[in-house]
Amino acid sequence: MKVSIVSLTCCAGCVSSFLNAGEALLEILSGDFDIVYSPTFIDLKEVPEVDLAIVEGGVRTEADEKLIREVRAKCRILLALGICATHGGITSLGNITSVKSFLEQEYSVLDVGKLPELKDLMYPICNFVDVDYYIPGCPPMPMLIVHSLKSIMSGKPPIRHRTVVCTECRRKIIPAKLKRLHGIYEKDADPQICLVSQGFMCLGSLTREGCGAPCPRAGFTCFGCRGPADSLLYRSRDIYAFLVKVTSARTGISEDEVRKELYRNPFLFHTFIFSRFERFKARERII
Amino acid sequence: MNNKKEITISPTTRIEGHGKVTIVLDESGNVSDAYFYATEIRGFDYFLKGMEADRLPFIISRICGVCSTAHVLASVKAIENIYDVEITETARKLRELLLMGQIINNHSLVIFFLTLPDFWFSPEENPSKRNIFQIMRENPEIGKKAIILRNFGTQLIDLIGKREVHVVSVVPGGLINPLKERERTELLKLSKEAFAVAKEAVSLGKELFEKNWSDFKKAGDYRTCYMALTREDSLEFYDGTALVINPEGKILSTFNSQDYMQNIEEKIFEWTYAKFAYLKKLGWPDGVVQVGPNARMNVADKISTEFASRELVEFKRKFGHLVHSTLLFDYARLIDLLYACERAGELLMDESLTRSDIRVKVEPNGGLGIGLVEAPRGTLAHEYALNKDGLLTGMRLIIPTQVNNAAINLNLKDAAMEFIRHGEVKEGLLNRIEMVVRAYDPCIKCATRSVGEKLKVEIRNTEGKLMKIL
Repeated sequence: MKVSIVSLTCCAGCVSSFLNAGEALLEILSGDFDIVYSPTFIDLKEVPEVDLAIVEGGVRTEADEKLIREVRAKCRILLALGICATHGGITSLGNITSVKSFLEQEYSVLDVGKLPELKDLMYPICNFVDVDYYIPGCPPMPMLIVHSLKSIMSGKPPIRHRTVVCTECRRKIIPAKLKRLHGIYEKDADPQICLVSQGFMCLGSLTREGCGAPCPRAGFTCFGCRGPADSLLYRSRDIYAFLVKVTSARTGISEDEVRKELYRNPFLFHTFIFSRFERFKARERII
Repeated sequence: MNNKKEITISPTTRIEGHGKVTIVLDESGNVSDAYFYATEIRGFDYFLKGMEADRLPFIISRICGVCSTAHVLASVKAIENIYDVEITETARKLRELLLMGQIINNHSLVIFFLTLPDFWFSPEENPSKRNIFQIMRENPEIGKKAIILRNFGTQLIDLIGKREVHVVSVVPGGLINPLKERERTELLKLSKEAFAVAKEAVSLGKELFEKNWSDFKKAGDYRTCYMALTREDSLEFYDGTALVINPEGKILSTFNSQDYMQNIEEKIFEWTYAKFAYLKKLGWPDGVVQVGPNARMNVADKISTEFASRELVEFKRKFGHLVHSTLLFDYARLIDLLYACERAGELLMDESLTRSDIRVKVEPNGGLGIGLVEAPRGTLAHEYALNKDGLLTGMRLIIPTQVNNAAINLNLKDAAMEFIRHGEVKEGLLNRIEMVVRAYDPCIKCATRSVGEKLKVEIRNTEGKLMKIL
């Protein structure tokens, strides 16, 4: 199949992650996987017609929007790779402020006529085009990308990961009796026990599985880079209330106290999903 | 009547990020100006205000997925500086090893995937074939070797940093996970294999360079100052003193990380989102300074490891003690790679690497601090101001591509003047111009962290009318 790899506004980490797949990468490249367009690797300057377009990054500029529309029109399957493409990603934290005030502060002399205009917000690509598969993650793990691509190459939909990171983390959940929550740098984590039970604000209980839980396994809290799991995609489910309940149950701290702590930490659970979603049809298509 | 013309190359390909090159031609079709610009912006400096210092290192690494580990290290060093904490020797070694992983991971990508096609094929080769995938089709061994090298870098980052991209184990005060003996042995095995491949890559690179050198040396050799970290005059990545030399090779100044920001100033031009950094002492434009592989070779008198040291001596013998030619970046990058592989092997031989004293307790504190490391593309600096609650109140980052920004533009013009005369432009010629930009391996992601960036080249007339977009 003919493949294009397109980067919108992002950090290039997702394509980096794909290149970290080692031998599996060679296997894919030697199969029916012909990369014909990718500004990172290939000199072709125009977007060609392809079977599969892999898109990393979200839409921050007018040029991004124009490009993603063109890519969609010229591909059979569109794969959104990484949380910037699927949910807006870390750049969407910029949505807390207006673009105008940002540019005024940082670039007083900028001649905007010469540069692509910024959109008012950072958007995920599904706001503009139909997406066939979403692989969230910052970045998605190499093997997750490889397995999904192999499925797509053989004409099958990739295996979906529906539940939460806790199912992949081997830590033991115990109901603890703690006095307060802790910052991750405050104390050493016990290697066996659930990080929430130790008072750390781990987001594993609401984040989509499929990464293999590398962060909590290493003793670092999950910070939600795979976005919310299936069960939390319904509008009626309140991520915030859910997190308060889980944390209170595992730490023994009252829900009120936990709530206070969460308010103090504004970036905590929407570090990667602070964007506005339209036409988000991810429920059946999120990998 | 207007006969001026502008040439645009957009997007500039085989670099990280989105960029664009514009070349302005005068009435007779000769180059009057050339610009390399970044067309995106993300605003990290701006939206992270108010963030807790605890969460900064792993969020700030999202500035760049290609050199994320270097950003994490600069970030924790800045925070440790504010907290006034000394990490243990074991932690220092592990972090240096992690940085070597970053250099290997990045350089294997740049050397094989981005720049090799220019040397492997002629610049006039059909652009749809001029890429690593075509090389791999013709010679699968090259692909395997690229993967062996990249995989060693990836494994170092994964086993020490606990993720392949955007590591999590590095925290203010040290690391959260010791290296297991089993992991050390495994990495040591991989390091031997990678070192052998790195040596082959150097020979291959030298062979291809010899073949093309007479063509390449003309492409951009603007003379500037150079800056890199060194330790006792040797090449150093993790923990050194910044050393600046002038275009004649005389030492201009040396300073430690805490004085970095007092020595560097930034300038904004209205046509690009990427800022320009230069030496305050000499002002603009005399203070234009370059960082990265060439600068490292120019600034360091020696290299501590055996094979890389030999290559440095050979490099200096061939091209002089001080090199200005832009395309030598590609050669110097091979020496970096060899050093990183050798140094990683050296560190991994040390059994004390698996000791468990990797973390010291930190007391959060307010203040101002700077973290400095030698990232793949050059000296990287993070400066943070924290309030007494440990919240970020201000941030200033000086990224290698920002420092090189001026030199990229100057050398771009230099090369354009060499290759474009009387308005005659061929695809092959434009690729030669792109090669100058590519040699710097500019990371527009980093330089315009402030959202995503793109690089383009336009061909225009002097009135600014667009003639052709490539």
